[in-house]
Amino acid sequence: MKIGLEVHVALPTDSKLFCSCKAYSEEPNSSICPICMGLPGSKPMLNEKALMLGVSIAKALGCKVPEKISFSRKVYFYPDLPKSYQITQVDAPVGHSGTLEADGVSIGIRRIQLEEDPAKIIREEEYTLLDFNRSGVPLVEIVTEPDIKSEAILRAFLTELKSILYYLGVDINKEFKADLNISVAEQRVEIKNITGTKNIIDAAKYEIERQNKLVSANQKVPSETRSYNEAKMITVPSREKESDEEYGFIYDPDLSEYSTASIKAKKAVFASRIAKEYASKYKANAQTLAELVLFNRDALEMIERWKEKYEMKALIGSIELLEKYGIMDINERAMARLLDMVSKGSYPDKETLMKIYGGEEVEAKQIDIKLIDKEISEYIKRNPRIVEEYRKNPKAINFMVGEITKKYKVHPRIISERLNLIFAGK
Amino acid sequence: MSSSIKEFQSKEKPEGYYKKLVNGLSEVNKQLGAFLNINETIKDGFPFSVKDNLCVRDVETKAGSEILSGYIPPFNATCVERLSSSKFSFLGKTSMDEFGFGSFGLNTMCVAKNPFNTAYVAGGSSSGAAVATSILKYHVALAESTGGSISNPAAFCGVVGFTPTYGAISRYGLVDYANSLDKIGIMARSSEDIRTVFDIVKGPDSYDSTCVGIKFTNVNNKKIFLIKQLLDATDEKVRSEFDKLVSKIREMGYSVEEKSLEFIEKAIPAYYIISMAEASTNLAKYNGYKYGFKNENFSEEYNRFFTESRSKFGVEAKRRVVLGTFVRSASVKEKYYRKALKVRSLLIREIGKLLKNGFILTPTMPITTPKIEKAVSLTPVEAYRMDILTIPPSICGFPHVSFPYSYPNGMPLGAQIISDHFNDYALLDFVKSWETSFRYKFKYNIGDIR
Ligand SMILES: [Zn+2]
Repeated sequence: MKIGLEVHVALPTDSKLFCSCKAYSEEPNSSICPICMGLPGSKPMLNEKALMLGVSIAKALGCKVPEKISFSRKVYFYPDLPKSYQITQVDAPVGHSGTLEADGVSIGIRRIQLEEDPAKIIREEEYTLLDFNRSGVPLVEIVTEPDIKSEAILRAFLTELKSILYYLGVDINKEFKADLNISVAEQRVEIKNITGTKNIIDAAKYEIERQNKLVSANQKVPSETRSYNEAKMITVPSREKESDEEYGFIYDPDLSEYSTASIKAKKAVFASRIAKEYASKYKANAQTLAELVLFNRDALEMIERWKEKYEMKALIGSIELLEKYGIMDINERAMARLLDMVSKGSYPDKETLMKIYGGEEVEAKQIDIKLIDKEISEYIKRNPRIVEEYRKNPKAINFMVGEITKKYKVHPRIISERLNLIFAGK
Repeated sequence: MSSSIKEFQSKEKPEGYYKKLVNGLSEVNKQLGAFLNINETIKDGFPFSVKDNLCVRDVETKAGSEILSGYIPPFNATCVERLSSSKFSFLGKTSMDEFGFGSFGLNTMCVAKNPFNTAYVAGGSSSGAAVATSILKYHVALAESTGGSISNPAAFCGVVGFTPTYGAISRYGLVDYANSLDKIGIMARSSEDIRTVFDIVKGPDSYDSTCVGIKFTNVNNKKIFLIKQLLDATDEKVRSEFDKLVSKIREMGYSVEEKSLEFIEKAIPAYYIISMAEASTNLAKYNGYKYGFKNENFSEEYNRFFTESRSKFGVEAKRRVVLGTFVRSASVKEKYYRKALKVRSLLIREIGKLLKNGFILTPTMPITTPKIEKAVSLTPVEAYRMDILTIPPSICGFPHVSFPYSYPNGMPLGAQIISDHFNDYALLDFVKSWETSFRYKFKYNIGDIR
């Protein structure tokens, strides 16, 4: 099986890709000008910040960045496209021939290009509205090689990609769109325009299953373009769009070539790589650490600051606690107090935490594990079915964990750990 | 010929001067069709006209096309803006071939006619700009050339037409024909007036990234090259007049040498391929729902809606959309569009080598001014061949000036002097020295101050 992806993300610039209109505005058609409306006589001017971000993403994904990049016109007729052509990149995009590691698998990055978003179409029953605020918003399109071989790798790839984009400042919750290419057998099926990570994975899941069924029934999978129906969670055949033949790409003669030599790219942060390295170096759970830092630059910063000074497990526990209550600016002394408590197995409630944050001295008591074990054993005696329920659904113990956490102000993970031992009969 | 701008500014204007100017012009315009609209509110400043493909704020800008009727741009083209804020006043929009597609000013609703004889063409596509310059005593014209649209009508109407180096004047506000070839230029009755206007409108613009801030040179090696293939393409009558001009230029102290550039004939197909490919993408935006002509049938299916709207294009525009779309299609792009780009690079390199050592001089047009009825009967390919002398400098972006040099049978003839990129001022100096011994003729002097 082969899966390839084309991911579109909107870039976090103040202004649009080719004009000085605000890139993101609420009130429909409030952020428009002759350029993003395609008025005759207007000309595009490249937003240098968007170019810098495009190059930064390309470099983060190990791409080759051409010395000079250029733009092309992709011509097609649709009401959301003011000039009836989209300015995109064909021959010299911001990056090509890169790779991204996801779960130990190397996924090829074919190309990365900058392009402008069309206007937004709002379909109502009786009429259709156009919001040109979105016309000209800078997008980056990331095209992978068909190197993704399973749903798990697809998931890992998306997480990894989003984490890298997050650390480059891209708002990954905004306009995260993808086209999927899936071929279980020979024929390639393209699923266009899926919005959001969950839908991308669900669409892939459905499509893999659909193609598998066809293959095992000895039927041919037709090569076609499909679209994803979010409500029904299925893919359906869609109207064929234009091919490259009809797009008739030419260089955009309004935009000269741009040199990439003097661009200062943003430095990429590979949070998952850091998590892995620190987990083994400082003896911590890699998964927990990754979950903490993949999409949280404050957490990563705290890890970096205190990793040598404190025990990693306690550090992770403390940061999780702080994150839970939205505290990201704790000072050195307060942090030391918190760490002291957490490393003793204690799990301060909000009140205690705020005291610590406010600089108050709070006594750190050593948690008596025997007491916890006793509590658990008693709970099981009262609710004997919990063991079986837990095996079916690990969430079944959440209530018990919550109760004990509250009573002893102990970290829920410690309770989980004890539970596992007790359930295992040890 | 001295600067009419300085002369105008130094003269006391009689009472009601501008009103009389507008009235006089309106009267003559009825026969000549140079202006699409005349600014009746003009009350001071030196008058300038604007080719209809340049945006003037709050003034209908159609680029000679029905499909843009009703388009009122909310902004000024950079050149219009710069001139307006320098004691120049907008006089009106001048007629042109639809989107610049034409060599005789005939591909439009308002056909401008030759002021020397209205049975003859004014040239194209900046037909109205040339006629306006030929009939107005104190006036300069902002025009635009893609493949010779300034030189051609300037020659037929007997005025000076300056097409600067590509990128010297901002294209912001120009309704595009072929963006990599479009150049905004100036027409006037003297090289001095052109220089004054050029000084004001040239230079970098933050709204046009192809308008660059390269320093101008002023190199004159007192050397003129004639190109064999271009002279061979010229008809006999023009050729014999041109030979006389060459003798005079020798007398001005220039050494003249004939060169053969075989590949130069490839300039025509390369030019038409690039210009049509670009034009077909520029014209894609005219689909009847945002500006200009508006199609009200919103309930129609998209493709039908677009097709219906785009039927408003004239015949030549449709031809270029179809051909231009073809030459950039994926399966033939290599054969046409990309090859044409290579030819352009080759032409720039080879002609550029020659221009390092001197100017190139050619007749501006290969024929004498044709009658309207004759021009109408030309096939498209015959018409495209009329651009053989103006296309080489145009496709390469080399600056060139067409200037009048003879009046056989009472109709003006123009010659074209070409120089290297950004050596524009050397050309203006050359024409200035020509003007010290040659007096241009005009049939009208509307707006003269006695
Ligand atoms: Zn805008």
